[in-house]
Amino acid sequence: MPPSVFSLSQTPVTCHSFDANRQQLAVSFNSNDAQILTRKGNEWTATETLAEHDKTITSIDWAPNSNRIVTSSQDRNAYVWQQTPDPETGALIWKPTLVLLRINRAATHVRWSPKEDKFAVASGARAIAVCSFDPENNWWVSKHLKKPIRSTVLAVDWHPNNVLLAAGSADMKARVFSAYIKEVDEKPAPSVWGSRLPFNVLCGEYSSPAGGWVHAVSFSPSGDVLAFASHDSSISIVYPGGPVIHNIKMSSLPFVTLTWTAEDSVVAAGHDCQPTVFSGSDAGWQAVGTLDDSKSSSSARSGFGSSPVGRLNSTAFNTFRDADTRGQASAGASGGDTKVLTIHQNTITSVRPYEGQPGQVTKVSTTGVDGNLVIWDVNEVASLAAQFGGIHLK
Amino acid sequence: MSTTCSQRQTPTRHLGAKRANTLKAERRPSIMSNVLRPYLAAVRSTLTAALTLENFSSQVVERHNKPEIEAGGSKEVLLNPLIISRNENERVLIEPSVNSIRLSIKIKQADEIERILCHKFTRFMMQRAENFIVLRRKPVQGYDISFLITNTHSETMLKHKIVDFIIQFMEEVDKEISEMKLSLNARARTVAESYLTAFNA
Amino acid sequence: MDNAFRKIDIDAFDEDVLQESELYEPDPRDPAQVLDESKQRQVAVRGALAKGDIRGALAISLENAPFGPNVEEAKTLTLQTILSILNSTKSTEVSAVVKALTQDEQDTLMKYLYKGMAMPGWGDISGSVLLGWHEKLTEVAGTGCIVRTMTDRRTV
Repeated sequence: MPPSVFSLSQTPVTCHSFDANRQQLAVSFNSNDAQILTRKGNEWTATETLAEHDKTITSIDWAPNSNRIVTSSQDRNAYVWQQTPDPETGALIWKPTLVLLRINRAATHVRWSPKEDKFAVASGARAIAVCSFDPENNWWVSKHLKKPIRSTVLAVDWHPNNVLLAAGSADMKARVFSAYIKEVDEKPAPSVWGSRLPFNVLCGEYSSPAGGWVHAVSFSPSGDVLAFASHDSSISIVYPGGPVIHNIKMSSLPFVTLTWTAEDSVVAAGHDCQPTVFSGSDAGWQAVGTLDDSKSSSSARSGFGSSPVGRLNSTAFNTFRDADTRGQASAGASGGDTKVLTIHQNTITSVRPYEGQPGQVTKVSTTGVDGNLVIWDVNEVASLAAQFGGIHLK
Repeated sequence: MSTTCSQRQTPTRHLGAKRANTLKAERRPSIMSNVLRPYLAAVRSTLTAALTLENFSSQVVERHNKPEIEAGGSKEVLLNPLIISRNENERVLIEPSVNSIRLSIKIKQADEIERILCHKFTRFMMQRAENFIVLRRKPVQGYDISFLITNTHSETMLKHKIVDFIIQFMEEVDKEISEMKLSLNARARTVAESYLTAFNA
Repeated sequence: MDNAFRKIDIDAFDEDVLQESELYEPDPRDPAQVLDESKQRQVAVRGALAKGDIRGALAISLENAPFGPNVEEAKTLTLQTILSILNSTKSTEVSAVVKALTQDEQDTLMKYLYKGMAMPGWGDISGSVLLGWHEKLTEVAGTGCIVRTMTDRRTV
């Protein structure tokens, strides 16, 4: 099945999150508001606007079971939205609850824990706020994970045991913390990450050899492996036992988001505009292909690349080369090269599981700066072989 | 007699000079681009690699969002600056950061006339910087003209088009300056000749 | 009245601020040892070049490249060594040599290409040679290699 493409807007889509049955979608179009879109056939129509933030929204997460939405924004706040009946009309509307984040810089990323009784907010205040509900006062309170974070936290991800939290930050480190909160959590069973896990215990700290901000982190479905994408155009897979770190360097532009589809498979996407599939085991990992098969169907191109953004084989580059080797004027040819050869026309900013259980994800959804939502079948992997001819995988 | 002769001669000589100039101007870009190509290709690939920007809120000032390459408040969000050069007189400096990049060009200036022309030309552009969107009002020290590209630009414009614009600018600016130099010389010759004819009698 | 205090950058005194030196693991080797290694490599490279083994010469010179502060001399020496290899390679062979390098070697070579371009007119640097190598290397190793040159704080 070819990927389904929905054009949501002309503006960038900062982030997206589906509800449990994938009929509704919460997105932010690079603005202060979040939109709830409802699917009608092949169209997504805006049904409600969540307006409370007064700076750009950075992240949205929709808890599938408790049907709550949490949003974070550069205005240093996060809100939990719940559907409540309107006192006058009785219709269900989304009502915000303020979260006492106590951070003084932008909130950059937010994720519900698997049990949906906590969520973690990454922030530019060199801290992660782990929030839980305080029924006495009817608000969300937070505890801060601070040490040893030295810079803006760019991404967080929860371990399936509801206690461990992975964080990637601009100080070029991916870390695993314990976010154990006495009032909420039961004592977690010992895992590969450690056995005694009081709050703010650092279970591991990893970085890519060539450095680079850690844009995305993710635990494998079992929780025993950690994957992170860093700005040096590589992804790293961490097995904490050794620790063994498999670092896969790419010849394309950096990835900014990734998700596990199975225990042996990861989908990563970013500035290269196409989702790339990695697979492997503790023995080694490698890039196996891309989900974006569009260039094979488009007109045959010679040379060493596909997407003009990531590689040098853009139309403009060809025009320029023609101008040089054949003396062709570049003026006439520069009109029609506004389209990028990949399905996404600009950076993909978020990739999330769409269909299937954790560990057996069959479809993933992506949104990006081009304003498109694309749903991909993860089993339709097109070969990267042509593009990676000269690359040695370690 | 001598006056008429010289008057008759002047236009032809002038025409001849002009023809030679146009010939030179036509031939020049192709010769130039042969040498120029790897230089521009290197700028293109480096710029493409640097234009991997994201929205990044300041971690120094509350509720602000500023180009980190200009603010320079946090070292960890700046990357290694890279220089691409053909020779001492022609180079490009690319300073990348998490949400903005600064690209500065040192334009070739072979002699005093080119230096003056280049100064006037870049000044003209920079005074109208808002019309060029990505142009910086002041060049970085040691360079003639600078561009500041932020994540907002890469969100609202096609990334490869921004790259194309910069490359095209670099191609054009050399051509423009050498053309201006030629026409300046031609005009100076005409002026000098018509001035000196007065003493020819 | 003294107004100098108004110009103090107070953010620089924030103890949470990351310093340049904290951004990467320092080189465990002693500066003298690093310099020694660079000298040995230079000799080994000359030997390899005499045999016409460019791939081998590059591999030797790109291994354990000196980085960080206090090793300026070793850095300069290594750059000279690499430049001598680059300059003595025929432009038709560049592509094949670059393809034969490992990914780490490609990344390090890219760093040296940019370092060379950053100091035009120094020693026997020729802009067109470096640009020629840069073009071939980018064809093989892609923009990712350039991104790594930007992100890697272990500057050569």
